[in-house]
Amino acid sequence: MSKIIAVHSYKGGTGKTLLSVNLAATFAKQGKNVCLFDLDFRAPSLFAILKVENAECYLNDYLNGTCDINKVLIDLSSKIPGGGKFFVGLANPSTEAIRDMSAKDRKWEMRALGRLLSLRNALLTDKGFDYIIFDTSPGLQYSSINAIVTADLVVVATTGDRSDVDGTRRMLRELYNLFEKKTGLVINKVLDAASKTKRDEMDEKARTVYQVPMLGLVPCFCEILRAEGSFIFVRDKPDHPFTKILYEMTRKIEANQIN
Amino acid sequence: MNNYQCVVRLNKPSTVTSVAYTHNTRGTLLNNEEALGRKPLHVLEKIRENLERLNDKMEVMIELQKHGRKDIQPFSDTPLDVMTLLSMPDHLRKTAMTICRCGRATAEEISEQTTRARAVESAYLNQLVIMGYLKKERKGRKAYFYADRESQV
Repeated sequence: MSKIIAVHSYKGGTGKTLLSVNLAATFAKQGKNVCLFDLDFRAPSLFAILKVENAECYLNDYLNGTCDINKVLIDLSSKIPGGGKFFVGLANPSTEAIRDMSAKDRKWEMRALGRLLSLRNALLTDKGFDYIIFDTSPGLQYSSINAIVTADLVVVATTGDRSDVDGTRRMLRELYNLFEKKTGLVINKVLDAASKTKRDEMDEKARTVYQVPMLGLVPCFCEILRAEGSFIFVRDKPDHPFTKILYEMTRKIEANQIN
Repeated sequence: MNNYQCVVRLNKPSTVTSVAYTHNTRGTLLNNEEALGRKPLHVLEKIRENLERLNDKMEVMIELQKHGRKDIQPFSDTPLDVMTLLSMPDHLRKTAMTICRCGRATAEEISEQTTRARAVESAYLNQLVIMGYLKKERKGRKAYFYADRESQV
């Protein structure tokens, strides 16, 4: 069963963070205990979306080996009333920290991989979390590939943009296949997604172009753009079609329908 | 007899049990421990450990022959990071990925995850040791493999 999920994409702006936050919140709403980590060290954003001003320690510190993972975790369960545990681990948004993370060498990245891998025991086995979700940097960044290696399932967010389609296809073939990762595709910002012809066309694309199972098809919703990342969509808009799509994604993951 | 046959013979329990007994002058079968005291048992244990080490080495030699030594660069100074994993041949990557996930494991434990034969995993793990990516530690009869990330500074 997929317990560690990495949300990744080839290009930026495909909706990884939106998906990560709402996937985590949807699991938490269903009573699951979830840990969401910001692994986008070059452009941290979870702190802003989840409105967390100051963290005692950041994920950067844990990967540097200067603090324990418990000091990184921030309990935001109160943001999902009546749900399971909802914890987050943030990336340090300061310019100095971003610069520092960009200059890490291969040996540091190797130790960082070891520390990410040890989260499985520390959080899933010892602390009883049901899911760990990594929001990653786009493209072939070290931190993203570390997250992919650690994960049981990779959710790939893509759009209809031609360069994104081509890059995503190559990334699937040359990265995910080599690591033998279970992968689910989310095509985001789809125009005319209500029409059956369009949905069939996207299903066909997932099967033939990307050759991975479709996890979800997300139409281009003006409400999401208007929200400007200022609230957790699935919590505040429970009847919105986007929320229903997210529920369907979590159902597929829970039922282990992505192989 | 080729190397592979040698490996199989060393793994046969009968090879070890056959030396655990001896005949006295009247032709009565005696247990070695009774006949010679406890010390020879330790010697036999040592012999067994040495045979197992020899077995490991032979498995590596078989693998080296099978792959024509092309993909084995001994004692690389590059760390076992994701880029190294990506550049590995498929058969070694699978083993390396599994040991990364397990942390510390025997060839038997790795073979349970990869569904390949124990002897095959043992050979691949030993290759990764030769290449400098993994460390190997013996505890009694078991050999444990692990990626020593912290010491590779």
